[in-house]
Formats: sequence, structure tokens, C-alpha cells
Amino acid sequence: MEEIVQHLTPILNEVTGYIFPNEIELHWGLLVVIYPYLTGLVAGAFILASLVKVFNVKELQPTYRMSLLTALAFLIIAPLPLLAHLGHPEKSFEIFLTPNQSSAMAMFGFVYVWYLMAVLLLEIWFDYRKDLILWAKSEKGLKKWILKSLSLFSTDISEKAVLFDKKAVKIITIIGIPSAFILHGYVGFIFGSIKANPFWSSVLMPIVFLFSAIVSGIALVLILYSFITPLRGKEIDMACLDKLANYLFYVMIVDFSLEALDFIHRVYESEESIKILSDLVSGKLFVSLVVIQILIGMIIPLIAIALIKILKWPADLRKQIYFLSAILVQVGIFSTRWNVVIGGQLFSKSFMGLTVYKMSFFGLEGLLVSMILLIAPLFLLYILFKLLPPWEEARNL
Amino acid sequence: MKNYWNSIPEQVKRISILLIVIVAAFIVIRANLVPKDFGELGHYRTSAIDEIIAQNLKYGGEILCSECHDDVAEKKASSFHKNVSCEVCHGPAADHADDPDSFTPTAPKDRDTCPICHEYLQSRPTGFPQIISVSHNPFKPCKSCHNAHDPTPPETPKECSACHKEIFSVKSLSHHAFVECKTCHKTKDNHRLSPREFIPEKPTSRNFCGQCHSDEIVNNDEIPKISMTEHEPKYVCWQCHYPHLPEAK
Repeated sequence: MEEIVQHLTPILNEVTGYIFPNEIELHWGLLVVIYPYLTGLVAGAFILASLVKVFNVKELQPTYRMSLLTALAFLIIAPLPLLAHLGHPEKSFEIFLTPNQSSAMAMFGFVYVWYLMAVLLLEIWFDYRKDLILWAKSEKGLKKWILKSLSLFSTDISEKAVLFDKKAVKIITIIGIPSAFILHGYVGFIFGSIKANPFWSSVLMPIVFLFSAIVSGIALVLILYSFITPLRGKEIDMACLDKLANYLFYVMIVDFSLEALDFIHRVYESEESIKILSDLVSGKLFVSLVVIQILIGMIIPLIAIALIKILKWPADLRKQIYFLSAILVQVGIFSTRWNVVIGGQLFSKSFMGLTVYKMSFFGLEGLLVSMILLIAPLFLLYILFKLLPPWEEARNL
Repeated sequence: MKNYWNSIPEQVKRISILLIVIVAAFIVIRANLVPKDFGELGHYRTSAIDEIIAQNLKYGGEILCSECHDDVAEKKASSFHKNVSCEVCHGPAADHADDPDSFTPTAPKDRDTCPICHEYLQSRPTGFPQIISVSHNPFKPCKSCHNAHDPTPPETPKECSACHKEIFSVKSLSHHAFVECKTCHKTKDNHRLSPREFIPEKPTSRNFCGQCHSDEIVNNDEIPKISMTEHEPKYVCWQCHYPHLPEAK
């Protein structure tokens, strides 16, 4: 009891107005912020990859495999924040054994598995199959056997078989686009369908989530591509980078318009919650929403990329500005997730008061675990890059 | 048949075998791990009900208490605390009911327990007895004046503020500070003894406020005046003005 009092006292000092007792402490913390952020990167990276295969955007070919592996690495880590948040990860498989159809979160498990098994792994397998066979032939020892088993001991690299692989990749990508939409739309749905919370409850939520996901995915691949290519001693393909930035720019405009539409809609509707929400946005969320999400994460990168398009700056400057803009976009999208998850819990359902979020450093819900979970996909991606090199020159070894 | 088998691309065969293995493994795991009685009555194990029933009881329930403590139960049944169960204040007492000598429930003697319900809180219903414990007889244990089994105050309150402290405090800061409660709320004397049975009346029409605030009335010049026919005639006054703090926006 004393522990609870000690824990709540500093928070209570910062509570303003009237709030219900069960609203003092936030139930969803930093880990639940990271979960939609990571899932968004997956959906975004996959949509980018699909541009190459389905919409035939040839310029983006150098980033195709990188996008797929990025999506895979982030998808594998994406559920870990949830498992850490809920506890008892050893019981998590039970949601598959006894599916609960009335639970959006439980059904998300199936969307996740579908996306992982039927879309991402299958597409990567078909795309890499020929290379896996060839690489296995030239390797020795353990790696040879890892590559062989990854190819499922397949041997056929006849022209007909390779043609079939290409066709399969295209079909899977076509199925994959709506799947990626559902994957991240679902994350938005989980928030948007909570009718008791006026900050979340909006039919636009899945769509806003989806577009911000595409923005973050493209920005991530742009960062990875412009960071890794010079490290490998290769020249950055400017046509590819310009195209990436172009797509980033257009999707950001759509995302910005959707968020503006949502904002205008709320202000015009002026439901009973509007006063507390405007207090929230102009007070506790001012820095993370207005300054970081909108100004730093949206308007500055938009202006920077627009200036590049108008002024036709030299390649070196373009690279740097693209890179910096993409980093700002990542910060902005992380802030978007923060504002939705944390912001949505800061005001009382009585609409009369605000609470505060105190983050801890240690512990399962703390900053340390969150940082590890944010870095983990990059480690996994490093291993994937080592095992399945996505570079063009590795293709025809 | 053999021709058909040969026409399937090699990679499809391999991936299909993997898929079949995964699906088969899932079916076997599911058949073995899902409890047999899961889903019979709902999304849970039927046997979970018996497991929950088998747990030790902590609370005995008021009926059990009143079997021995009938005098206290009778007193409480006619008091304001008739709906508060014994174990709310005395704590879980199933062990005491089983064997009265082995465990004796405690009774709150300090000033911490009663304010859990009776400390002033904005969300509590108007008229529910509420105190501000720092200013209400400081340091004196509640039970020195109030009997928890029949908590009617030892002296019938004379002032409205004894129970409606929060309204009184707000009103005392407003221009209505010197307007007595009874000016607007007709209240029977019995309200002080049985507050819920004799509820005070509230004004029902615009004309009530007009008795002081109509421009046709000649009284103190400092009282704000309006035309009863022109000033928002479709609304009653308290839709815009909070009578206990009329200057609030």
C-alpha cells in the first residue's frame, strides 16, 4: 500500500482539474508507443518494395530487397513490446489455439501471422530462391547448410523455374499490398475503435495510421540506403534516392492533409470533449505535437524536399538534405505514435482534468527496454544483410 | 496423375510440404494443448468454475455477521449506513465467522478510514455528507462524535453549510454571498433529519430571478437588471448563469 502511495504522490502533484482515480496512472506506456511505430515501419517498407514489383518503378530497384528485409526484421521485433508490456510471453501462443473473435487484439495475431508467413517470408523466399541455391554452391561449411536449408533444398534454377519465381513474387506482392494495409490499418483500428476515448475514436484513425506508416517506412529505407551504400564503398544511385524522396514527399502531403482533415473535422464538430482536447494540445502535448510532430517532423522536411525540387541543388547537398529530412520524419512519426498513445490517456473521461506520464528508466516498461527494442530490429537487419545480401552485385555472383 | 505431379514447379512442391508440416503441427499442438472442456459454456474452461469455487472465502457477508451481532445489525439497518456492508469497514472476516476466537476483525479508530467516503470530492453527489478533514475537528477521531453503526450527527446541523460546504464556499465568494439559501430553495425543516426524503425545492421559472433582476423592479441600483421580455427569452436563467456564482463565465 505504502509503495503505491509513494508511486502515486509525485504524479498526483502534477494532476490538474478533476480526474477519476483509475486515470491518475497511464496503463499504456512507452512500450505501446513503440509497437505501432515498429509495425508502421514494416507496412511502409513493404509498400515501398511493392512499388518496384507491381507498379514497375525501375528506379527503386536498388532498394527492393533492402525494403523487404527491413520489413521482415522490424516485423519480427514488432510484437515484442506488446509481449513485454503484457507479461507472460510464454502464454502468448494461446491466442492462436483458442481464437477470441470478439477481441481486436487477439485477431491481430492472425493478421500478423498471415502477413509474416503468407506474404513477407513467401515473397522473400521466392525472390531469393535462385540466389540461395547459387550462394550455397559457392559457400562452405555451416553457411552452406544454412543457405541450403533456407532454400528448402531446392535445386531447380532453370529459366522456367526462375520465371515462375518472378510471377509468384508479383502475385504475392499484389496480395501483399492489401495485407500491409490491413496490418497497419488494424493498428489504427485498435485505437480508432475505442469509442469511450474521443481522442482516439475516429474512423479516420486507421487511414491516418496507414499513411504515416508509409511515410515512416519510406524514410527508414531512405536512411538505410544512404547510410549503408557509402559504408560499402559504393556510389549512391541518385535517381533512386530522388525517387525515394519524391515518394516520401507525396505521401507526406497526403498524410498531412489527412491529419489536417481530422483536425478540422474535430474542431468543426466541436463535441463535448473539444475543450479538454484543446487544453491538452495547447498544454501538455504542445511540444510533442505542434513542435516535434508537425513542425520538425512534417513541415521542415516538406519545405526542405520542396526546395530541392525547385532549386535543383547538386547531388552532394541533396543527399545530405534527404538524409536529414528522413531523420526528422522518423522523429516526427515516433512523436505521432507518442501523441496518440500517451496523449489519449492524459485527459480524464470526465473532460475536467489532465494527468501526467512519468517514464521510468529501468524495469520492463522503462526507457532502457524500449531503447533495446528500438535497436533490436537494426541488429536483426544486420544479420539478415549478412545472410541474404540485398545488394545488386550479390545477385549475379 | 504422375504427369500432373511433374507439372507442378519444384519450388511449389517444397513450399507446400513445409506448409503441410506447419498446419499439421498446429493441428496436433492444438488438439493436445487446448483443454477438453474449453468453450463448452463460453470462451473459458468449464472446470475453471469449480477451481474458482474451491478458492478460500475471504468475506463472510453481512447476513453471516448479523446472525451473532443482531443488535448491531438492527441498529445499522435503520441508519444512514444501512447499505454499507460490515466488512467494508471491518475488513474480510470469513475466518472470524468460522471460528470467532481464532481471528478478531479490527475496527477503524483513526481519522483515515471515514474520509475514504466522506472527504469532499467534486464528483460526489450534492448533499452526500462530506467534510474537509483538515478543518473538520482536527485530530479528533471520527468515532468520538459519530457512531459508525448509526452515523447521524450528534447534533442536527443548523446551517446548510454543514452538509453543503462546497456550495457554501463558492457562494460566499460570489455576489450572492448575502442571499440566504432559503431565498431560492424552499426547504422543510425535516430535510435536516431526513435529507433524502424531504428534498428542497428549486426555482422553476425565469420570473423567480426576475424578482430581483427585472428592470421593472425598483430596488438596490447595484443589482444587475435585464428586460425579462428581451434578454434571451427562450432560456431559463441557470442555463447561462450559475446561481451560486453568477459572475462565472
